[in-house]
Amino acid sequence: MANIREIQSRINSVKDTMKITNAMYMISSSKMTQAKKKLADTEPYFYGLQGEISRILRHLPELKHRFFDQREKIPKEERKIGSIVITADKGLAGAYNHNIVKVEEEILAKPGVHKLFVVGELGRHYFSKRGVEIDTNFRYTVQKPTMHRARDISGAIVDQYLDGELDEVYVVYTRMENSVQADAEVMKLLPLERADFNVMKMPLNMYREEIDLYPSAEHVMDRIVPNYVNGMIYGALVEAYASEHNARMMAMKSATDSAESLIKELSIVYNRARQAAITQEITEVCAGARAQQRK
Amino acid sequence: METFGLKIIASDRVFYEGRCLSLVIPAPDGEKGILPRHENMVIAIDVGIARMELKEGEWTEVAVGTGFAEVVNNRVTLLVDTAERPEEIDIRRAQEQRERAEEQMRQKQSIQEYYHTQASLARAMNRLRLAQDKKWNL
Repeated sequence: MANIREIQSRINSVKDTMKITNAMYMISSSKMTQAKKKLADTEPYFYGLQGEISRILRHLPELKHRFFDQREKIPKEERKIGSIVITADKGLAGAYNHNIVKVEEEILAKPGVHKLFVVGELGRHYFSKRGVEIDTNFRYTVQKPTMHRARDISGAIVDQYLDGELDEVYVVYTRMENSVQADAEVMKLLPLERADFNVMKMPLNMYREEIDLYPSAEHVMDRIVPNYVNGMIYGALVEAYASEHNARMMAMKSATDSAESLIKELSIVYNRARQAAITQEITEVCAGARAQQRK
Repeated sequence: METFGLKIIASDRVFYEGRCLSLVIPAPDGEKGILPRHENMVIAIDVGIARMELKEGEWTEVAVGTGFAEVVNNRVTLLVDTAERPEEIDIRRAQEQRERAEEQMRQKQSIQEYYHTQASLARAMNRLRLAQDKKWNL
């Protein structure tokens, strides 16, 4: 059996670690609540934009716009594919980062010229070692997502897309299904696809209200689409932030739980060792006393 | 007097929802007014100042960012990236924003950065204009 002092110091070290994991658990849970609130605040705007695009598409089925251009002429091998990968800045979040990396690896395995835009320190480390092209000017943190940062990111992406430096853009992020389930997911950002805006099929004989686009359809689309892309990126950032903290919360909770059970086990061992020491001492005293009597 | 339903949605909140008598918004080629029973329309909005008449003769001014307004069946929805009342604007912050943008404008930038700064400068100047007009009116 281990020595009493050793067990004592082990218990203390586990207790210290437990303090840290417990604190991280509480921090993550408060950050997650904030992130969820933020997401709820921006939802009406985002759904409004989506609804408007679908309305315009419904009224102008023949509308050609550069954001809807699929660029089919470019062969598969030469397509420039950009991915915005959203990971965490640090680990300690269970399989959160690992899942994102795995999904991105699947994209990288497909034909095409790949370019990565990594948000988050951990992903940047991983992919720089792997030797894929990473946009080096793209240095953003995932902490506290703001509209401003989303605007910066979407500005850079939309620009490269319009210049023909990118033909397809994906976002790889973690979506929160509910508080226990979160999945790493790929979302196609550009070019936009008509099918995404479930265009309603309307009977031919129905009267449709006519909508004037002022000053022109292009003008209006130019206002809507960049904002829509912006909203999608913001949504992805916030959702990823919320899932990161959810993952960290769960990881820290199970760490705290296992620390607790470890302490419980160790304290039993400790008590036994202490009891054994006492018993031995008594036996020794008794034996000594008896030896004295015999004399 | 006749009214129409107005909903102003900014990117971070629902700014206003209720009835309105008339509305003036900054379109790319000048201001555009909307009265009740307006024709169905989608109008692009530039950075500028929108005015809404909520009660007769009472105009409220709002600094708006880029976006668009949708008029359908006597309902108007404004979707803009920012919307602020004059009293919500922090003049000092807006001034700092303007100075920062002006500073960046003087430096060599890529075209993308230039547009970015230009947009930021436009937002700052718009905020200042609304906030300072308000100050003189007091």
